[in-house]
Order: sequence, then C-alpha cells, then structure tokens
Amino acid sequence: MIYDPRELARVRNPVLLLSAAAWIWLLADPGGLMMQAHCAAAGSGGLPLRASLPMLLAMNPPASLAAGWGLMLVAMMSPALILPIGHLRLRSFKRRRARATLLFVAGYAAIWMAAGGVLLAGALAAGWLAPNSYLPAVGVILLAIVWQLSPVKQRCLNRCHAHTELAAFGVAADLDALRFGASHGVWCAGSCWALMLSSMLLPRGHVVAMAIVAVLTFSERLEHPKPPRWRWRGLGKVSRIAAAQARIRLQVLQRKVLPT
Amino acid sequence: MAEYTRANAWNNDGTFDNPDLLWYAKGVGAMQARELSDPSSWWFFAAIHGEYVSETDFPGWGFLPAPPPVPTSPLPSQGDQDQYWDQCQHQSWYFPPWHRGYLLALEAQIRADVISLGGPATWALPYWNYFGPGQEFNIPPAFTQQTLPDGSPNPLFVTARYGPAGDGSIFVPIPPVNQGCMSNNLYTGNDAATPPPGFGGPATGFSHGGGTSGNLESNPHNLVHVYVGGNAPDGQTYGLMSDPGLAGLDPIFYLHHANIDRMWAAWNANSSDTNPTDPNWLNGPAAVGEREFVMPWPGGGPWVYTPQQMNSLNQLNYTYDDLPVPAPVSAEDMLAKRLTRLGVAAAAPRAREGAAVIPGKKVELVGANQGALAITSSGALTTVKLDTGVRRKVSASLALASPTAHPDRVFLNLENVRGTHDASVLSVYINLPEGANPSDHPELLAGTVGLFGLRRASLTDGRHGGEGLNFVLEITRIFDTLHLDNALHVDSLPVRIVSDQPVPEQAEITVGRVSIYRQGQ
Repeated sequence: MIYDPRELARVRNPVLLLSAAAWIWLLADPGGLMMQAHCAAAGSGGLPLRASLPMLLAMNPPASLAAGWGLMLVAMMSPALILPIGHLRLRSFKRRRARATLLFVAGYAAIWMAAGGVLLAGALAAGWLAPNSYLPAVGVILLAIVWQLSPVKQRCLNRCHAHTELAAFGVAADLDALRFGASHGVWCAGSCWALMLSSMLLPRGHVVAMAIVAVLTFSERLEHPKPPRWRWRGLGKVSRIAAAQARIRLQVLQRKVLPT
Repeated sequence: MAEYTRANAWNNDGTFDNPDLLWYAKGVGAMQARELSDPSSWWFFAAIHGEYVSETDFPGWGFLPAPPPVPTSPLPSQGDQDQYWDQCQHQSWYFPPWHRGYLLALEAQIRADVISLGGPATWALPYWNYFGPGQEFNIPPAFTQQTLPDGSPNPLFVTARYGPAGDGSIFVPIPPVNQGCMSNNLYTGNDAATPPPGFGGPATGFSHGGGTSGNLESNPHNLVHVYVGGNAPDGQTYGLMSDPGLAGLDPIFYLHHANIDRMWAAWNANSSDTNPTDPNWLNGPAAVGEREFVMPWPGGGPWVYTPQQMNSLNQLNYTYDDLPVPAPVSAEDMLAKRLTRLGVAAAAPRAREGAAVIPGKKVELVGANQGALAITSSGALTTVKLDTGVRRKVSASLALASPTAHPDRVFLNLENVRGTHDASVLSVYINLPEGANPSDHPELLAGTVGLFGLRRASLTDGRHGGEGLNFVLEITRIFDTLHLDNALHVDSLPVRIVSDQPVPEQAEITVGRVSIYRQGQ
C-alpha cells in the first residue's frame, strides 16, 4: 500500500489536540458535566430510596449525561481512532475524506453512546441502591480484572486492529465508512466497558481513575493482536516504549558528550 | 579477512562432491535427531521462523508427509515458545536483518555439529544462486537424492517440495523471478529508481506477516518460496517452502535465504545503497516496545541482536565468494529516460545532468473496483472505475511533464488479499483486450506476486488482525503508454488477474479491493 505519511500526521495532530482539550475541560469541569455523567455512583446519599430516585433523575437529566459522556469519550478514546481514521482517509478520494471521517465517527459514537446509556444506567442504579459505597465499584473492578485477563477481551482487542477494505464510490463508500466506524465501536466498547464502568462507580476520584483507564486502554491498543488466551494485559507496551526510547536517547547523548 | 566464506552450492555441480553440501546434510541430520523442545534441534529452529505445531489439520506439523518426520512433541515451555518461536519478520524493513541473524544462528549450530562429526571448523552455509549461469536455476541435485553417498537417508531430501508445476521438478522460473530490486537506491521509500515500499521494506514494528513486502522480499524472495514449495499433486495441500509456518523445515530454505542475504550484501556494496539510520531500525522492534530478536546459540544462552549489529558483513566475520556490485542507477537517470519517453526530449538532459529530483509526495486515490474479488481457477477479472477529476489530474501531469514539473507516478494496489493457500502466484494485467492471451501482452503486465504468508496474514487473531497481504505494483509505464496513445480518457480500466496454477476451491483467495493511486506534486 502506498501512502503519504503526512496524511497520518494530518489526522494525528488535531485528534491529539482535541483529546487534550477534552481532558482540560473535564479536569476543570466548568459546567459540572463530569459530575453529571460520572458521579452517579455518589447518588443522593442520605435520602430514602423511593424519594431519592426521582431526585437522582432530576439531578442527572439525560441531555447532560449524554454531553458529559460524549466529552469523556472524546478525551479517552479519540487517540485510539488515529490509525483507523488514517486508514479510512488514505483509501478515500480526497474530496470524500471529510465526509468519510464524519460517517466513521458517527458510527463509532453511536455505538459508544448506546453503550454509555447502559453503563450510565448501571452507575445510576448502583448510586441509588448503594449511595456513596465502594462496594459496587469493588465488585465491578473484580469483574474488570477477570475480563482484562480473558481470551474474549483479546478477541475484542484483535478486532480493533481489523482495517478492512472500503468501497470508494457513492452510497457504498458512505455505508462502508459508517459500518467501519460502528464495527470499530463495537469492538472498542467490548474491550473497554468493564474498565470504564469500574471508574464510573467510584464515589470519589473519577477523573484520576478515568485517566488511568485511558492510559491503560491506549497502551493495550498499541499491542499487536495476539492469540486469545488468559494473560495479563496492561501498561506493558507503554512502559516498554518509554524504557527503550529513554535508553536510546541516553546512548545518543553519551555519544555526543563522550565522542570516541 | 573474514573467517567464514559462504560459497555457491552449485560448486562441484551441486552434488555431494561439494563438501559444503555433504557437511550441511550431516549437520541437518544431527539437528533432526533432537527433540522439538531442544533449542538446538532442527524443529525448534524451524519454529523460530514460524510454526503450526498445534494445528489440527494441514498445514499442522502433524499432517505433513515424511520425510522429514516432523514431530509435534515434546513442546518446549510456554516461556521458550513466547521468547523464540514465530519471530520471522516479513512485510517489514526488518526482513533483511532478522533473517541475517537467523542464518548466523542456524549456521553456528550446524557448524558445531559439523565439527563434532569431524568436519571443517570453517564450514559455512552455501547459497543457491538461482540467477547463476547454466543450470543453476535448478535446485542443486544434492537436495533431490534420497540417500547420502554412504547409503544413509539424505536429510536434505523433502517429500513436500513440489516445484512450479507441482510435479517434483524443482526450479526457479526466470522470469518472472528477477533481480530488478538490485537497481533500487532506497532501502525504505520510493523514487524514480525505487518502487514503493523500497528495497528493504516498509517501516514497521515487529512484523510477523501481513502488510506490504519490500522489493527484495517480494521478488525474488516470495516468488522463490512459492515456486519451490509449489502445489501438491493432490491439488489440496502445498509444499513446505510455500508457507512461513513450514518453510524452515525444508533445508533448501537456508540456501535460498543465504542468497537473499548475499543480494542484500551486494546491494550494500554499492556505496550509494545504504541501510536506514533511523534509531527505530537500528535498535529493532524492541525500540518501540516490541519483541526483541533472539536466537539460541550453541554452547551459550540466548543471543539477542539488533539490525544495527547486522548492518554489514565486515562486522560479522563472514563473506561470500561472489558479491557482484550492482551498477548504480540514479533517480535522475530514470526521470530523464521517462521524460524522453513522454516526448520531453529537449529537456531530458537537464534532468540527467543532476537537476535535483524532487519526487512528488502527494498520494491520492485515482480509482477502485467495487466489492471483493474472488480468485478462481481461471483467475479473475474486474473493472477499476476511475474518478474523472483525479484521472484528468494524472493526464495533465503527463501532458505538462518537464524536469521541473515531474509527471505523476501511478500504482496499482491489491488490498487486503486473503486466503488459505500460500502456494499461489498471481500475474496482474491492465487493460488487456477481451479474449486476448495474457502472455502475448507483456507490456500490459503490472507485476507478478507470490502469496507467501497469505494464510498467516489472513488469520483473524493473527498479528495484523486478518488484514491479509497488500501488494503495490508500479504501473507508471503502462499509464505513460496509454497517455501517448491518447487512450487515457477513459472512465474505467479492466484489470485481469491470472493464476499460474489452478487455485483450489477451498483456497478462498480474495482481493478486498483493487485500487489505483497517483503520486505527484
């Protein structure tokens, strides 16, 4: 496949900027979106269950929840879309690249928003039934660890690497872009749902937890597909890259400082 | 002076009168006598390249015809498997250096066995130069004898080696196998003298199959593999050399790779043909957090190496008895020739005199077919629909070509080629008239590709997520001719794919998309 490496840079740089902007927004949380979307587990502690449910729903209107969830997706997941969007754009006519990218993102976002509906409902329910409790979070963290080790998780990760053929012309090209985004979303959500839910259920420290999950999911996405089997998946790739690059830079520095 | 010299396997007519071959056979025999779990065994070394030890059907190692009788147990520890097995680098700029280290380790093991059997301490792997004179395109006869001179079984003899016609006659057809890559002047990248992705291959991380082969890897390497392995007479299975998960089991593998290694060394012998200096190449995939290259070493622990250590023969204490330096080919010369072809004769000398060649960097889709294309016994025919606007852009660049306004280059891609039958060779023709015999139109041949690695690259849980193989074929010359014939004002171009042998039904070979790209200013 012949390609222009600059095209990948054209995708990478704005996507990373967008992700960084979303993180800054989440950390600053000027409109309380983060609290709306991800502190559902904190619930309305102290109120009776029957009374707290309507209040909980009133405190968490669906539009705000969706906006907060969307912002978090941009922050956490957009770096993982650099390669598939690059793949899509390289295989599209120049005049169709923007449209194809939008369709891909629409397909991907639709899946994640639907998954968000389920995860947020779960988080709200946990916050309602066990307000300010770490118990639901601990339970889901245990489940997330099992999921993290499982062959099923590996299958999902492997399919996130499937960059398939795409039609070039007409409606078929539009449908392929949408389908590519949606299928990518399915495997991405399948891979990350448990980690996401774990951090959402924490009564405190969501942003830190989300940041850790973001680094973890990005790191495991950097790994090549592997045969599905029980194994630990974590920060190995990112830490190996950091160590190797530090060693290489040190060697270069040594050569400059201590010329032979 | 290097201590070890690799010599032509066809010395002494390629028979066991060539001591290099006789001792190779004895060394292979010693390694084959060991268990699969032993890192110094023939089987373990084959698995380092790639393996199907646990597969429950062909090409599982338990389903291969003997000889050799390939074991599937006892397995080494999971740790040893994870560390050593399934390492071979393909469709990658690591293809040449990884295989150089692999040959060195195998050679060291064989040499240790040769010495223990009373052989020469300076024994080195011979190479099979299928481009050599006379009959040297044939496999050296020592590989086709069932017994050694002393009457014992010949470890170099392999049943599952079927050849280009599937009849057991083993040779390399020249052409389509050629040495065209030797005129490349870029290891990674492309210019007027170097089709993409370059002589050595595209920049990648650890790449155990899937993607686009470098030019040395594509032809001759891949084609030699699938021609030598070939299809079995049953029409269902194929030879060991055809698949990276089997290839290391066939002793001819290492002589083929010694020749590929020799070609890399000869390419480097031209001072302008240099290896990458990018730290990510020099330090190998471990530089980007991936597996390191590691081999067992006789009498020692694991030997970890990097491409930087494989950079030249001088630092490795071995050489070849014949390293012909390729004539330098400059991108300027190639551009000048092309401009002449396009009728810009008056301006062409300026390009030849050294006007800087600034290759166009913009890459843009010109057209594509619709839907996946199945390759059947009769091949396949599809139509690549061209985008009118982009096609006009190509036409304009050809019409207005000059030493300062370089004409577009044009490439045909076979994207996401998947299937289960590696022993396939496909020839791709552009704009072949209906009913015409392809072999009558070599001017319309875009290229010939071998599908070595197809099966592994198609595995959904393989290292590239089942993306399959990609091929990029330069069709600039065909487009130039269309332009000169005023035949480029078309909405589509027919593309015909011809298989050199009938493709078995269960092979399920498909081309995800056939596309045409331009690269220009």
